[in-house]
Amino acid sequence: MIERRLTILAAILVLWGGAIFVKLLSLQVLHHREYVQLAHNREELDVAIPAPRGTIFDRHGQPLAMSVPTESVYVNPLKVPDLDVASTILSLALHMDRQELFGKLKWASDTQRGFLWVKRKITFEEGQSVRNLRLDWIQIQSESQRHYPNGALAAALLGSVDFEEKGNAGIERSFDSELRGKPGRVRLLTDVNRRGIDSQMEMAPHAGTPLTLTIEERLQFVAEREIATAVKAHEALSGSVVVMNPQNGEILAMASYPPYDPNDPPQPGEKSARQNHALSVPFEPGSVFKVITLSAALETTSLRPESPIDCHGGVLRLPGRVIHDSHIGMGVVPMATVLAKSSNIGAIEVGMRVGQPRMYDYVRKFGFGQKTGLELPAESGGKLRKLGQWGTTSLASISMGQEVSVTTVQLARAASVIANGGLLIKPHIIFKRGGQAVQPPVPIRIVKPETAITMRQMMEGVVLPGGTGYPRARLEGYSVGGKTGSAQIYDVASRHYTHTYNGSFMGFAPLTNPAIVVVVTLNGTHGTAGFGGQAAAPVFHAVATEALRVMDVPRDLPDQTPPPAQLAKKAEVDDLSIADIGSDQPNILEEGDEEGETAPAGPRVPNFRGMTMRAVLATAAAQGLTIVPGGSGVARMQSPPAGSLLHEGERIRVQFVR
Amino acid sequence: MATVPAYLKKTDEPAAALPVHRPAPVRAERNPYRLRALPHEDVFFYSKKIDNSRLVREADPRGRSACWSAIGAAGLVLVLLTGVLAPSVANTLEGYKLESLRAEQRRLLNERQVLQLQEAELLRPDRLETLAKRQDLVTPATDQVVHLEEKGDGAVAMVK
Repeated sequence: MIERRLTILAAILVLWGGAIFVKLLSLQVLHHREYVQLAHNREELDVAIPAPRGTIFDRHGQPLAMSVPTESVYVNPLKVPDLDVASTILSLALHMDRQELFGKLKWASDTQRGFLWVKRKITFEEGQSVRNLRLDWIQIQSESQRHYPNGALAAALLGSVDFEEKGNAGIERSFDSELRGKPGRVRLLTDVNRRGIDSQMEMAPHAGTPLTLTIEERLQFVAEREIATAVKAHEALSGSVVVMNPQNGEILAMASYPPYDPNDPPQPGEKSARQNHALSVPFEPGSVFKVITLSAALETTSLRPESPIDCHGGVLRLPGRVIHDSHIGMGVVPMATVLAKSSNIGAIEVGMRVGQPRMYDYVRKFGFGQKTGLELPAESGGKLRKLGQWGTTSLASISMGQEVSVTTVQLARAASVIANGGLLIKPHIIFKRGGQAVQPPVPIRIVKPETAITMRQMMEGVVLPGGTGYPRARLEGYSVGGKTGSAQIYDVASRHYTHTYNGSFMGFAPLTNPAIVVVVTLNGTHGTAGFGGQAAAPVFHAVATEALRVMDVPRDLPDQTPPPAQLAKKAEVDDLSIADIGSDQPNILEEGDEEGETAPAGPRVPNFRGMTMRAVLATAAAQGLTIVPGGSGVARMQSPPAGSLLHEGERIRVQFVR
Repeated sequence: MATVPAYLKKTDEPAAALPVHRPAPVRAERNPYRLRALPHEDVFFYSKKIDNSRLVREADPRGRSACWSAIGAAGLVLVLLTGVLAPSVANTLEGYKLESLRAEQRRLLNERQVLQLQEAELLRPDRLETLAKRQDLVTPATDQVVHLEEKGDGAVAMVK
């Protein structure tokens, strides 16, 4: 009896144990993964750790673009219990239009979509409102939002980002892969109240690389302010300014007008309005290009600044056309005067001596017709026809800056060659990448140092009395070299040059050891007031003055202000590269420089080069000339150049170098 | 304690030795060992008096040491359990603190970024220029900027 009962008890125990074993088998083996997943879902949270996009700083560490964390709200429309109620709740919490939101939810639900952004980049208060709802079908996603704290400042340079924080222009686009961070993920073990107990880093976040630009914020602001003022004052269409360090190629400021605010998303059709005019919009440079012509002449011919150039009295007959200088025609003048007065005929004469192959070679050497390699998207290389495509008058046109298109950055690089002693540098805009200083590329010598110094000397004549840049481009306390340019804009439709101009000025200071190169361009100016010396030179003056002050460049001249009467008189002087072409002959020059002041009637300037200071002063005293000496040693540079006629009361500045 | 034999013995006792002329007491003396009868039951219980006054606790050193051993073992187990469990509990508590601090760190980093943005917005050049103009401040001309020469004695300026 007892054995039977024991047997039954044992059987029950075996069955019980078997049942437990089967259950354990089910839990631990058969459905192990499901239950582990279930447990993880209950106990663990996947928390995304945002990796902010790299900040863009100016050269002094002032942020120009930065990302701050924000949140976005999304729902799974298929899990929303009541679309009508949901749209009411969400529209109240997120300040949205209820009907519009209901439509979106309905559409997403009808199309069986399991994900719908309700609102991106919400405010902190909106986030709190949604969080307080405590509804499990409303999800909040951490994101970051790009901000440009200076608004439109340097917008054309910085570019902007789209809604996914992907760069779509400017630096944001060029360095998108570096700026963009990789978000991390952490698995958080929570208790029943969803409080974190422990966390395990599954993927470490990698913040975007911060970039430090060569831009100087204050200088950028002044450049943008001045170009905006000038464009409005001269009713131009657009404008640009580039400030560059000629020694290492650093872009200190790059302004483009019209501006835009990168904080605002681009509107349809607005793409062209967001162009970087300094980099992407080429134009015919006009007389500023004469610097290249004369540099090539100094390098390849026996022409010197004092070499006589026949300006044919202001009229030059070429095969098929007649070219006039716009101002009262000059006869035979020193080559330096050709530049100072911006004589088109003189420049053509010089260009003819250089010849087509060598002119083409030097234009290419100065970097025209090719991109500068600046780290920005959508750069234009300008246009320079191949030598084989040059027409019979192409050399004449190019000698005075037509039949060629350039960008403001290309002009800045070309001016830097003269300013730094003959080295072609690659402009760059990245100062530091992730805290590591970026080494500038090695420059290439394209002209001899003496050629560059001679060109500096001649370019100084442009801003001295009698020059086309006088007096607006002069800087108090600093010597300046520069060149004005006023090119008529060619209308492709009518095949004629119009009476709107590209007014430009490129210059550098101080002359003996240039610290900055500034190039100003205004596109679409009108009348004589829109010429380079009238419209662009004042911008150069303001920007260069501020740049030299900000960069703490020591003055090299005593301050002197020209007499007001002289200022008023010189204000009318400018150069002009006009080409009213016939309908069948595009890009043919007919006219030359604008009519300027009356010819000076003073004595000619002697050549002081190589003389000691004592000899210079003795020679000048013998001729009744006033000398403004600078430096010590032997005379290396003088202004006005030798052979030019002195204005009444004009002084000769001579720079001595040991 | 009342037992069935005791009960039977008690119930039989009056019939076996019944005194003939014993005067009936006015009130029967209550048997101190007889308990109150159960209502409606003919069952009586008696309590049995056990006199343990003669019993003397005998000294048992082995039992005492066994007792102390048991107490010690229990204490040891308790200490071991505490030693094993305490780190885990402390780990959990510190985990709470750590995660709380991490969340606080993330919040503060985010807040710092927002503050940096606000600072940058306050320092924007156009705003500074507007403020400067409002206070009649102007950019100094080149001849107005005087750089003081560094002096070895620490003087920053010298009146000439």
